[in-house]
Amino acid sequence: MALPLIGVVLAALGSGTADIAARDIARYALTSAWLALLVGFLTAVTGTLAAWLVVMYRFPARGFFAWALALPLATPAFALAYGYADLFDVAGPLRSWLRAATGHDLPFELRSTGGAAFILSAAFYPYVYLAMRAAFLNQSVNVLEAARMLGCTGGRALWRVALPMARPALAAGVALAVMETLADYGAVQFLSVQTLTTGVVRAWSVYGSTVSAARFALPLLAAAALLLWIERASRRGATHETGKARWRTLDVQPLAGVRRWLAFGFCLSLLTAGLLLPVGWLIWNLAQTSPDWVRLAAATRNSLLLGFGGAILTVALATMLALGTRQWPVAARIASLGYATPGAVMAIGLLAPAGLIWNLAPGSGMAIAILLLLFAYAARLMAAALEPIDAGMARVTPSMRHAARTLGRGETGAAFAVDLPVARGALLTALLIIFIDVLKELPATLILRPFNFDTLAVIANNYALDERLGQAGLPSLLIVAISLPAVIWLTRRIATARPGV
Amino acid sequence: MSDEPVLEICDVVRAYPGRRAVDGASFTLPRGGISCLLGPSGCGKSSLLRLIAGLEPVDAGTIRLRGETVAAAGLTVAPERRGVGLVFQDNALFPHLDVAANVGFGLAGLAAEDRRARVAALLDRFHIAHLAAAWPHMLSGGEQQRVAIARALAREPSLLLLDEPFSGLDGHLREAVRDALLADLRSAGTSVLIVTHDPEEAMMIADKLVLMAEGRILQTGKPQDCYHRPVSIAAARLLGDLVVTEAVVTGGVATTPFGAVPTPNAPDGTARLVVRPDALIPGASGLPATVTRSRFAGGFYLVDATGAGGRHVSYRCAGDPPAAGAPVTLTLRADAPAMIVPADE
Repeated sequence: MALPLIGVVLAALGSGTADIAARDIARYALTSAWLALLVGFLTAVTGTLAAWLVVMYRFPARGFFAWALALPLATPAFALAYGYADLFDVAGPLRSWLRAATGHDLPFELRSTGGAAFILSAAFYPYVYLAMRAAFLNQSVNVLEAARMLGCTGGRALWRVALPMARPALAAGVALAVMETLADYGAVQFLSVQTLTTGVVRAWSVYGSTVSAARFALPLLAAAALLLWIERASRRGATHETGKARWRTLDVQPLAGVRRWLAFGFCLSLLTAGLLLPVGWLIWNLAQTSPDWVRLAAATRNSLLLGFGGAILTVALATMLALGTRQWPVAARIASLGYATPGAVMAIGLLAPAGLIWNLAPGSGMAIAILLLLFAYAARLMAAALEPIDAGMARVTPSMRHAARTLGRGETGAAFAVDLPVARGALLTALLIIFIDVLKELPATLILRPFNFDTLAVIANNYALDERLGQAGLPSLLIVAISLPAVIWLTRRIATARPGV
Repeated sequence: MSDEPVLEICDVVRAYPGRRAVDGASFTLPRGGISCLLGPSGCGKSSLLRLIAGLEPVDAGTIRLRGETVAAAGLTVAPERRGVGLVFQDNALFPHLDVAANVGFGLAGLAAEDRRARVAALLDRFHIAHLAAAWPHMLSGGEQQRVAIARALAREPSLLLLDEPFSGLDGHLREAVRDALLADLRSAGTSVLIVTHDPEEAMMIADKLVLMAEGRILQTGKPQDCYHRPVSIAAARLLGDLVVTEAVVTGGVATTPFGAVPTPNAPDGTARLVVRPDALIPGASGLPATVTRSRFAGGFYLVDATGAGGRHVSYRCAGDPPAAGAPVTLTLRADAPAMIVPADE
């Protein structure tokens, strides 16, 4: 699983001359860093506030928002970019109408780092929301009550105890949002914001230079390693916050008067920004397009093929790892290295081994390319699959495993009779997460896909680059339509899960 | 064949980095009946249980079940092939299976009809038939334990191992659950080995005691023999409080502060007298002492006193206790077992 990463480092150190100056790399890196900072800040504030409201207070539609706020996970960031760009474009219908009606224009430009930060924040705030929601739900009522007994008022207890206790979750959630920001290709490319990831893809596709691409990828790899470390370190801190104390329901405070509608409005605006407005606009625009159904059908088939294939391969490997790493915990850590690594970087790292295989077996292009692509997905998403599977299997105590042995099962038999059935919910969760992520994946697919093998994400991107936004809308919407049921199932499952059970 | 021991442990060693959990343990268990492996926490008794079950390999020595060697250096018969049932301290019920499926888990090789009948019979015997469709998390601690034991017995093991089975239950419930369960186990006729660190419990339930400390077996035998005729001070301490004092043996009689004790087999010279606190009573002759305090202990008072030379002794007093500062003379009850051990032990 670490093979693509080694590939990137080797390629970057390669003797070939780069076509892109170090100055450009620094400029792109600066944009990436600024974008990551903005998205990190915006998602931290919005995600935390939403989680806090939903967990601590009662207001209209709170139960709905509890799971619906995570729904933007079903929309690829590039779909949001298409929707917003079309809506807020200088020559777009909204601004044209505004200028005609009022004589004034909106004071911002969407195709900018700020615009990209807004769109990526709208797409990625659910990572912070889900982490913080779990942390707030998990907090021990006893600790909050102890703070009250020691003289804190309710609000002060929250500020001095609950929020600091949830800090590891905040760091983990923001780290995920920033990882996704750095890995994004489709949205920033469309908004003409030059980040390291667009640099990787451009160096490869425009200049055909693996060396240049790898040099863009190196700082990304370093940032990914740093974020992964932050995320893991935070998680270690998070484990003791749930404690062994008996779990009791938090007292949910009803909000009164205007404050309940403010809370409602805030949650609704998040959901609107991340899903309803851009997706609604894309749907509205569908009427004016004449879709190429044949091409769409083929792309849908390919997307589903890769989605199911990637999910099954990744979950199968992750399950074997989860069962195997009870003996060798280090293996899981190595296999998880790919997480946080942008798909573009992963693809560049796989190009060298891919070239070798193609040279050895020239006739097998299509099958090998698809296998490589699936391998890239597995390497990139291994940790995302391992995490729920590990959590599911943590319910199996060593004594249960030993009981299965004394009751007549061998080591493998015990895994099939106890571990897998106990973790079946977690396995399904992992399958769906990987499936959704593969559907939305763009840069690795762009680089590694066989000729004439388009996925929904790829044709959406191609249409968008040709400024045919109406055409780009339908494949984007198809991705949303396919992943939405899975996301709803997942978020409702997360929302109803009681911690400590 | 029937008097062949069900379990033979011979010089078994199990070492972890830095310590020997089991250090040359040897004992045998007869077929049938309930035996208790008693020792303080960390003495290696749970490790020994895992070695018998086959969950860990032995480093040296042999373990034989019904005459067949199942563990030796370089040989570890897999747990599923040993015919041993193990009930874990946390019961280890499978959360994804209901009670009937948990009990039937080990019967995979049986036809569905036979399996159902076997499970129903076990549920009946352990009085949990009404819970057949319940899930483990819905059960009380006592009910979970019945399910775990029924599950372990389903495969008709020649030996059933229970790891601290009653430690999770509390107070009066513990005694009731324990007595009912032991009656059911005895009626099943299986050989049972129970690991515990509670000496009173061990003496109350065991037909045979196996005393263990620091990885070694100190003594095996009937509870009464182990209690009254311990082979060493260490073995005696496992089963309760001791009073240890110096003695001088001359011609088969030991002279002690509490009076003379006949010791026909002890060699002449200095030795030590070991008795239980309940062997000491106030009398006309013996050790003069002053009462320092007395504590109520339910059926009796435990009285602390200081004798000549600052020696501290405790004895049991059935009636009203003497006041602090009162003089008392302590002597040995005539029928009380006393042990004379060499002075250097």
